[in-house]
Amino acid sequence: MSAQPASATREWPDDGCSRVPNWIYTDPQIFARELERIFGAADWLYVCLEAEIPNPGDFKRSQLGNRDVVAVRGTDGAVNVLVNRCAHRSMQVCTASRGSAKEFVCPYHQWTYDLAGNLLGVPFRRGYRGQGGMPADFRTEDHGLQRLSTTQRNGVVFASFGAPNESLETYLGDSMRGYFDRVFDGRDLVVLGYMRQRIPSNWKLMFENIKDPYHASLLHVFLVTFGLFRLDQQSAVEMDETGRHAVLVSRRGAQEANEATAQMRAFKRDFALRDPRLLDPVREFPGDATVVLQTLWPNLIVQQQSNTLAMRQIVPLGPHSFDLAWTFFGYADDTPEMRQRRLRQANLMGPAGLVSLDDSEAMLLSQAGIDTNDDETCLVEMGGRTVGNEPHMVTETAIRGFYQHYRSVMEL
Amino acid sequence: MVAAAPGVEIGLELRARLADLYCAYDDALNDGALERWPELFTETCIYKVIPRENFDQGYPVALIYCESRDMLMDRVVALRETALFAPRIARRITSGICVRAVGPDGLHLTASFAVFQTMTDQPSELFLCGRCQDRVVEDGGVLRFAERLCIYDSTIVPTSLVYPV
Repeated sequence: MSAQPASATREWPDDGCSRVPNWIYTDPQIFARELERIFGAADWLYVCLEAEIPNPGDFKRSQLGNRDVVAVRGTDGAVNVLVNRCAHRSMQVCTASRGSAKEFVCPYHQWTYDLAGNLLGVPFRRGYRGQGGMPADFRTEDHGLQRLSTTQRNGVVFASFGAPNESLETYLGDSMRGYFDRVFDGRDLVVLGYMRQRIPSNWKLMFENIKDPYHASLLHVFLVTFGLFRLDQQSAVEMDETGRHAVLVSRRGAQEANEATAQMRAFKRDFALRDPRLLDPVREFPGDATVVLQTLWPNLIVQQQSNTLAMRQIVPLGPHSFDLAWTFFGYADDTPEMRQRRLRQANLMGPAGLVSLDDSEAMLLSQAGIDTNDDETCLVEMGGRTVGNEPHMVTETAIRGFYQHYRSVMEL
Repeated sequence: MVAAAPGVEIGLELRARLADLYCAYDDALNDGALERWPELFTETCIYKVIPRENFDQGYPVALIYCESRDMLMDRVVALRETALFAPRIARRITSGICVRAVGPDGLHLTASFAVFQTMTDQPSELFLCGRCQDRVVEDGGVLRFAERLCIYDSTIVPTSLVYPV
């Protein structure tokens, strides 16, 4: 593990993004700059689903970068996203992970805030019997909870620490907005539950994983064997104009051996499930894509893997650790059979997922190799050295797109 | 030792057989003998590993969600044949096994569990702890789990849950 600070000697190893230096995964100063420029600036960060806070007073805690926030539905029905920090002594005013409240009262000195974060009252503000109290010029209006810029699209809540200079729609871009609306088409959503795991690796490795279709055919023997996601299937990697957002799109193929599977040591022709209900996908979206994994800068992965739908929220904890918070959901109009199918297919996802398990373990092993080789670089040139959409899977173009944007934001 | 809640009448022989079942369960996992694990369940069993926050709030999503012994077997084969993971040892310890009720659908029990994990070249660590909510039935002359819910206390799982709980 290296604690060597970023310095003038830290130079990106090429003039593009087909080489990634290992120190961006280890350097505490790089991490500090990421919190400020990526998670604490004017980008739209995913907060929660509106379905988690349906009624006035309903709240849910969420972590944006290293900051704890509370998303709460106000008495007027609007969603407020408040930084969970009392204006007095910085104590967390909300300690439950979710619930319903009429107001937020700091447990320490009972400063009380309304659901929009306005400071309502300060005990002994005028002192007691003429003694003590706050100065005469103290104004409650100046000491509310910090309220973030907030926006929603079809049931998904985003917030920003800055003053965003673009709407969420512009931020996503036309093509990414189209993929987003494919899952969030305006139907009411239902939360099916949560999973959360703490992975001892840098948060960027999670994004790279979901921007890398090349690994899916090789690492994920389970997926390959059942034809759920394979390199020889018709597929696509697409990005927005900046490269910061991307989708991997795949169509399901038959479970058959061919020229491509010969190169996948992983392929197991004779592996059949004893209980096939685990994999009983039903087409439910327009078009022929069966898997769409969307990575939205800087903290969200929208997962549509057959019939499992989940938000995967990335919470960076330090150069060497992040939390991955999964919120599984379905639609209010799902049949009982579809609901059950989503729950069964969730066996493939999360910390114990027959597919996702490979990824969390791969990230653990990647970070271990990076930590002990902090002066080396990673090679990202499958499919070339440039950034552009591709109609196939044998490419790392979306990782390059991510780093193209990253380098510009981080000035590296 | 298998306890019984106040008012629950249960003989010593049955308590001994339950103790054997619970011991066989931990043994199968601690010996790395995953193939023995599904045999401790009935054919139509329910087995789930679920975070407490989901269970308490009625959210159905579980980390492992199996609805038959075949699904347990599929998971074992998938772990053996398809999953990539760093080598580790998991040790499961059960405590406080208690028969809560005896009903027409079998014996209802609860127990506490802890799973310790040891990664290569690392000290042993507490991985998960929580409680089991079980239903045990006579099945072809032996006791088996018809239902086992492993409800773990923490919200967060360290990296990944490889072996069943």
